Amino acid sequence: MESALRCGDCVVLCRSQSMSKESRMRATINQKLTEMGERERLKEILRAKLTECGWKDQMKAHCKEVIKEKGLEHVTVEDLMVEITPKGRALVPDSVKKELLHRIRAFLSQHAT
Amino acid sequence: MKMEDMPLSGPDNTKLEALVHDIYSELVEDACLGLCFEVHRAVKQGYFFLDETDQESMKEFEIVDQPGVDIFGQVYNQWKNKECECPNCKRLIAASRFAPHLEKCLGMGRNSSRIANRRLASNNNMSKSESDQEDNDDLNDNDWSYGAEKKAKKRKSDKNQNSPRRSKSLKHKNGELGSSISTEPYKYNYSTGISYESLGPDEVRSLLSTQCGVISEHTKKMCTRSQRCPQHTDEQRRAVRVFLLGPSAPPLPDTDPVVESDSFDIPDGQTLMSRLQWEDSPDISPADSASSKTSTNHSDSRKPKKKKRTSLSLNSGGGGGGGGGGVGVSLTGGCSSGSSSQSNISLSTKKKRPKLTGPSISSIYDDLN
Repeated sequence: MESALRCGDCVVLCRSQSMSKESRMRATINQKLTEMGERERLKEILRAKLTECGWKDQMKAHCKEVIKEKGLEHVTVEDLMVEITPKGRALVPDSVKKELLHRIRAFLSQHAT
Repeated sequence: MKMEDMPLSGPDNTKLEALVHDIYSELVEDACLGLCFEVHRAVKQGYFFLDETDQESMKEFEIVDQPGVDIFGQVYNQWKNKECECPNCKRLIAASRFAPHLEKCLGMGRNSSRIANRRLASNNNMSKSESDQEDNDDLNDNDWSYGAEKKAKKRKSDKNQNSPRRSKSLKHKNGELGSSISTEPYKYNYSTGISYESLGPDEVRSLLSTQCGVISEHTKKMCTRSQRCPQHTDEQRRAVRVFLLGPSAPPLPDTDPVVESDSFDIPDGQTLMSRLQWEDSPDISPADSASSKTSTNHSDSRKPKKKKRTSLSLNSGGGGGGGGGGVGVSLTGGCSSGSSSQSNISLSTKKKRPKLTGPSISSIYDDLN
């Protein structure tokens, strides 16, 4: 659901920009990713891989630290996102990143026209 | 892939790469967002920190990995009694005994279905007698626990209990065959012996030539053991032979022993009586217990009588002058007023008495038990 929303946002964003060729291409690719179900598939793969390689546990430990700093009562999703996302990006193993990029490229090469 | 991308324009290639990375970072952010939702929910629901405690307790409950100790650091006790609750009868049963009990309780085993069916039936009938049932069950459990060995023992003991009687009945048959008297069964009491009243003189004679033949006080039956039977003395046997076939008295099968027992105020009758009461019947019924009591009373009251008796016998020995011959007691219907039961004999029997009453009483107890 979030992804759909985000996709919509992106589309809106793209549309709100000057409808250049590039942004139009982005919009169509995003749409295709969602329509073909490839986005969900990629997400699922990523989640499995991250759980598998211990990324999730590391992130949880990091979350704990953050929450302890802030106090249990003052935790919001937005704060967590701000604190966590940079670390999340950094902690993704190279192999997982490579595989995911490969898959995205394959999809694009098939559908980018 | 790049080759495939090549058909696109040159700057498109880099743009496409940027697009790919954008999509990737989008995905990673999405995963992070998912995790954040998860963690946030866990925090708000209060289960996020459940899996970790403070360091002290973490150390305290660390998994112990040492030989001879379980993971909690406790010494493993092999013989600790573990108990399980039977789902059927709700009793606590030692774990080692649980399987056999269950087999019996549920009635799944070979031998147990019968017991279990009985149990179930009786439980349906009356749930009151559950405690009794459980007691029975305990017994049966014990029976089961040691297997067939104990069972066999039990049976053996049963047999031993029954054995005197059985052997006796066997001996009756043997005596019957050996002496080849009339085979009419009513003459043979199944437990004690032969009712001599119904026998003819020849039969009695042949019987006495092979068997002990001492007449019991209670049952009025003759002993069917061999002539060396340990329960009776030679004198008793002799007395019976004199009584039944003796030369002084013609064999009178119809002689009622009650008369004799009534006439035991005479010392000879008394001695005979005391002899007769030693010959105890194995099956003392409650009805007989009265007579046995009287006999015991009699034996108790014998002690004060002793002096009297000795004096009497001395008197009789002096006055009677040995009319009846030296063969001890001759008890005919007239009851031997002049019978010289010599003081020697009476004394000797008195001497023997304690020795004799010991085993006879014990045998009574055995039989009662």
